[in-house]
Amino acid sequence: MQSSKRSEALYALLFLSPFLLHLLIFFIFAFVRTIWFSFTDKTTLNESYNFVGLQNFVKLFGEERFLLALQHSIGFMLVVTTIQTFLALALAAVLNQRLRGIAFFRTVYYVPSVLSSAAVTVIAIWFFQKTGFLNTFIGWVVAHAPVILALAGIFLLAQAVQVALERARGLPVAPTDPALAAISLVVAIGLTWVLNAMGLVVPREQQPPEFTWLTNADSFLGLPIPLWSIVILNIFTTIPSLMLIFLAGLQDIPKSVYEAAAIDGATPLQQFFRVTVPMLRPVTFLVITLSLIGTLQMFDQVALMGDSAPLNSIIVMAYYVYNSVFSGEGRIGEASAAALILAGLTFVVVFLQRTFGVSEKAH
Amino acid sequence: MKKFWLAALAVAGLSTGLAQTVVKLQGFGGNDTAIISSLLKEVVNPAVEKDGIRAEYQGIEGDYKAALLNALAAGTAGDLFYVDIFWSEPVFASGKVEPLNAYFTQKELGVFVPSLLNAFSFKGKIYGLPKDFNTLAVQFNKDLFDEAGVKYPNQADTWDTFKAKLKEVQTKLKDVAGLCVVADFARFGAFAYATGWKPFNAQGKTVLDANFKRAFQWYTSLVKDGAGRYAQDLGAGWTGQCIGEEKAAVSIEGAWIGGFLKDKAPNMKFGTTYLPLDPVTKQRGNFVYTVSWSMNAASKNKQAAAKVLKALTSPEAQNWILTRGLALPSRGALASSPVFQRADKTGELNRVVFNGSTKQGGNVLPFKFGAYDGGDWMRPINEALQAVITGKKSVDQAIADAQAEINKLVK
Amino acid sequence: MEPRRKFDERYLARQRWARAGWVYGTMLALGVFFIGPFYVAFLGSLKDNPLEWPFRATFAQVLPKNWAAAWKLGQQGAGNPLLGGFAPGAVIPFEVTYFVPAGTEPATPTVTVPERRAGAGLGAIFDEVQASQYAQVSPVEEVSRRPARVGEQDGQIVTYRFTISYPRGDPTASEELPTTPRLPLDVEAPRGQVFLTATLDPNRLERRGRVASWDSAAPGFLGYTFKNYVRVFREARDPNTGSSFFLRWTANSFFVSLMAVLVNLLFASLAGYALARMYLPGKGLLFALIILLMAVPQQAMFISNYLVLRDLSLLGSLWGMIVWIGIDMAKVFLMKQFFEAVPREIEEAALIDGANPITTFFRIILPMATPALGALTIMTFQGIWNEFFKAAVVLSGQQGSYTLPLGLSFFRSAYGVAGDWGMMLASAFLSMIPIIILFVVFQRYFVEGVSTSALKG
Repeated sequence: MQSSKRSEALYALLFLSPFLLHLLIFFIFAFVRTIWFSFTDKTTLNESYNFVGLQNFVKLFGEERFLLALQHSIGFMLVVTTIQTFLALALAAVLNQRLRGIAFFRTVYYVPSVLSSAAVTVIAIWFFQKTGFLNTFIGWVVAHAPVILALAGIFLLAQAVQVALERARGLPVAPTDPALAAISLVVAIGLTWVLNAMGLVVPREQQPPEFTWLTNADSFLGLPIPLWSIVILNIFTTIPSLMLIFLAGLQDIPKSVYEAAAIDGATPLQQFFRVTVPMLRPVTFLVITLSLIGTLQMFDQVALMGDSAPLNSIIVMAYYVYNSVFSGEGRIGEASAAALILAGLTFVVVFLQRTFGVSEKAH
Repeated sequence: MKKFWLAALAVAGLSTGLAQTVVKLQGFGGNDTAIISSLLKEVVNPAVEKDGIRAEYQGIEGDYKAALLNALAAGTAGDLFYVDIFWSEPVFASGKVEPLNAYFTQKELGVFVPSLLNAFSFKGKIYGLPKDFNTLAVQFNKDLFDEAGVKYPNQADTWDTFKAKLKEVQTKLKDVAGLCVVADFARFGAFAYATGWKPFNAQGKTVLDANFKRAFQWYTSLVKDGAGRYAQDLGAGWTGQCIGEEKAAVSIEGAWIGGFLKDKAPNMKFGTTYLPLDPVTKQRGNFVYTVSWSMNAASKNKQAAAKVLKALTSPEAQNWILTRGLALPSRGALASSPVFQRADKTGELNRVVFNGSTKQGGNVLPFKFGAYDGGDWMRPINEALQAVITGKKSVDQAIADAQAEINKLVK
Repeated sequence: MEPRRKFDERYLARQRWARAGWVYGTMLALGVFFIGPFYVAFLGSLKDNPLEWPFRATFAQVLPKNWAAAWKLGQQGAGNPLLGGFAPGAVIPFEVTYFVPAGTEPATPTVTVPERRAGAGLGAIFDEVQASQYAQVSPVEEVSRRPARVGEQDGQIVTYRFTISYPRGDPTASEELPTTPRLPLDVEAPRGQVFLTATLDPNRLERRGRVASWDSAAPGFLGYTFKNYVRVFREARDPNTGSSFFLRWTANSFFVSLMAVLVNLLFASLAGYALARMYLPGKGLLFALIILLMAVPQQAMFISNYLVLRDLSLLGSLWGMIVWIGIDMAKVFLMKQFFEAVPREIEEAALIDGANPITTFFRIILPMATPALGALTIMTFQGIWNEFFKAAVVLSGQQGSYTLPLGLSFFRSAYGVAGDWGMMLASAFLSMIPIIILFVVFQRYFVEGVSTSALKG
């Protein structure tokens, strides 16, 4: 028995050997070497280098660009993770219905996540140009604000009137009653059209765009505008994946739990917050963790933006490390130190999230 | 079996036929890829073919300096490559570039314009041969000036008359800017030089003095006074793009704009003239931009590379480039070439740009900032320009901030 | 509490229908949100100036009138209705129409076939045969003149006609006359005479409306509507070999992706099987280590990997990228999950037969694993096809060995300076085609792959 066990272990080792070899060279050795380099003044151009202790780390914290990268990375992580977790959950809740053709929509929504970051970023740069489509669209909405506001106002008014009438008749309809809302929508569209035809509510003339996204030197909530463009882009491309994870989690929640809640008289909204959200905790933990790691390591979009935006306004940690090695001077020592700070930051953030944020255990 | 041997023989024959030394060249992308590749095909390769050498060019798009340094570090750099005067010194100091003194005689080196050649010497050795050079000039769209009924800019213009013309064009045409203004020392610096200001004083310090301020004030006032618009507000990265898209009537660029306009706006009627004069000193200023062909110290084909280098900078090669209006020659003797007297728009552009390096250019300095990386040295000034043009800082505040930043770098 | 009045059945049914309607409406809106940007960008990729303002959803390239005209002109130019061209024997009748304000005498426009290089940079390398050497333009004659009111102005609408022809050369000549890929055309009229329309809408108006300019007056349907897509292949070519960069990059991407798939198919399933089923001391420790390593950012490792590949002279080579990609930990996990779910009895039966683990694995285990291997193939292929970071580190500067993502980045800097958005957008869309095909065919794997591997891994 002992010898068969040994032979099995040898076979296991044989099966694992290519994987382990790769792991050893490209991960373990690489990581150890990065730690070693971070204490040296090694560059790509010179073969010889010296041990310099903690000097690289000290230098980094005195360097403007590094501090910017650190600040941007943390801000980017917080903003993107928050927004995309909420949106992905909301989207998954909408899609978690037993309706004909729902699979088709799920597939369609997944498209932005399938495409390469390179192609999507090139398109996004076009989108964010001064006369690109985003500004065109915003300009259109601003110009049509009177019409849109009229539409929304009439809709709300019609809904309120109908709900009041129904309640007066003694029917306890909810303010969001879908059938009444459908009627309200028809009324709103019709009335707005009439108002528009009478010339009472007309769109304003669309002004040429003034706002620049990628070359803007201003900041909003502490992050430069060009970085906000990447925030929008990143949310757009990752929501679909996260949404699918949530969806899988939602479908694992037994129907009986909802039925029990419904018998207790919980409204759909109460069901969502009292049943869905707590039951989804392990999935939410996973989504947040993936999102935190992903946003901290975001590299492609910044690299592909290239000179479309000033470097200091979009630089993040991952790109800072790459740029230190490949911008010419080949500062391997400092790049390694920055890479370790990024790795440390990742671990700390994941740990903090696990301890103080959403934990992986349901209840 | 016989067939097999025949095939083997054929393969062997083919491979001896292909036993050529391939010399790899690297340089800028964009138009340079077209120019150098054609030059290799038509002039250089026929000249070196007899030695069994073939030269191939690869243009690098994007950040060339970073790409070159990485390639040098990674051992994937070409045998010959461009080195921009702008950041040449740190590269020459790295030991990755081969000194050329062993490959060229003094006589062979003597044919180059001395100031250009000196720009590429470091510690008494020549590290590169000047490929060509460029200076700045004013290009203007004749249609737009005609339409506005404004006289074309000319070489007698001072800053004030130049600005007045731009302002008139911008006011009359409304949808066109006079000049599209960039926040870049690489353009603004020429005006600062016109005042007699120099990037480094006798003590080697950078002092943003009253002369500098005068130029700064004038340059930034172009936007404020309606004689120009900020390039970024026009959605452009450089003044050439503005004029090419007819968003601005005037651009300030070198001969490189010729190729761009030929492609972007082939029918445009444009003229070229000298940069305007400083009304106080009555002189102009200008930059000389130049790029060298340098040799990789780690090249395996140094002798072959030297032969290619000779062919690249030969009179035939430079004449070929010049007659096609692609770039300006670094050989002194070609200054009298009839090409410069051609009357068409490209001829005028090349003539003015070439003369920009001579006395007519006024206070002309190479686009180089001592041992500093040009990008680092210019950054504080560029930021100051941007801050004032976009209305974020006053002129005095911006200059004071820039001075403080520069003092950190220039000790 | 007073008792609630009950809703009747019909009311409830109506409500169900309305709710379904709102849900579908929401989903349609979300669909527009996720797909809309790609649709407008695709429209942009067809335009002559993708950044035009105001944005138009209807423009020359999407008008059926121009499709028909381009098709016909391509036919007349070179007998090629799709890609057009200008061949000996071509006779191309062409009409332009101007509005001449009252008070000015209509002036006959000047027609020229100019010499025109193809694009900036890369495209200009190749000495394309110029149509200007062979084209003959007939005298321009006035066809019609009628009074009209355009906008606020009175005046007349004048139409001119001319013919561009390519005379057949001497039939006894030894060399045949060349067919040129394009027939550039400029039509210039004095200022004030407003260009209205032409047989084919021009690619742009230059010099503030004086010159109407066509990239090719015989473009063919694809050459006109998908001009930028055709340019991606025609213009971006290697200056030394003349072969298309884009095709080369596509081949490179396929090569790297397929090699990575093969490596992962074999080694990830071997490793996954060993981890799932075989006895190995310290397996738990190895497991913990892998989980830990998965959270380390690749930035903390690429520096050493870059140097390792440099020492192996693998920089700038596709093999360097394949070696670095190697065996993905996540794929090992995926296979481990799968094998853990396989009933033990099957392999135990084989082991009792005396087969060694290698035979058992290849004969019995692997054939059972086809669904998991399918998912692994799709996920690896998609991941590597889109991989940018590793390509940027290993392949930078070696244009011949770029993969598509790096190629797109190259295009962005090469054509970004000139603001040539048509080329950039068109190349981005072209690079998506293989993944989109893969996605449409194997969408189940994509959608399920994400949710299951994430939840159980």
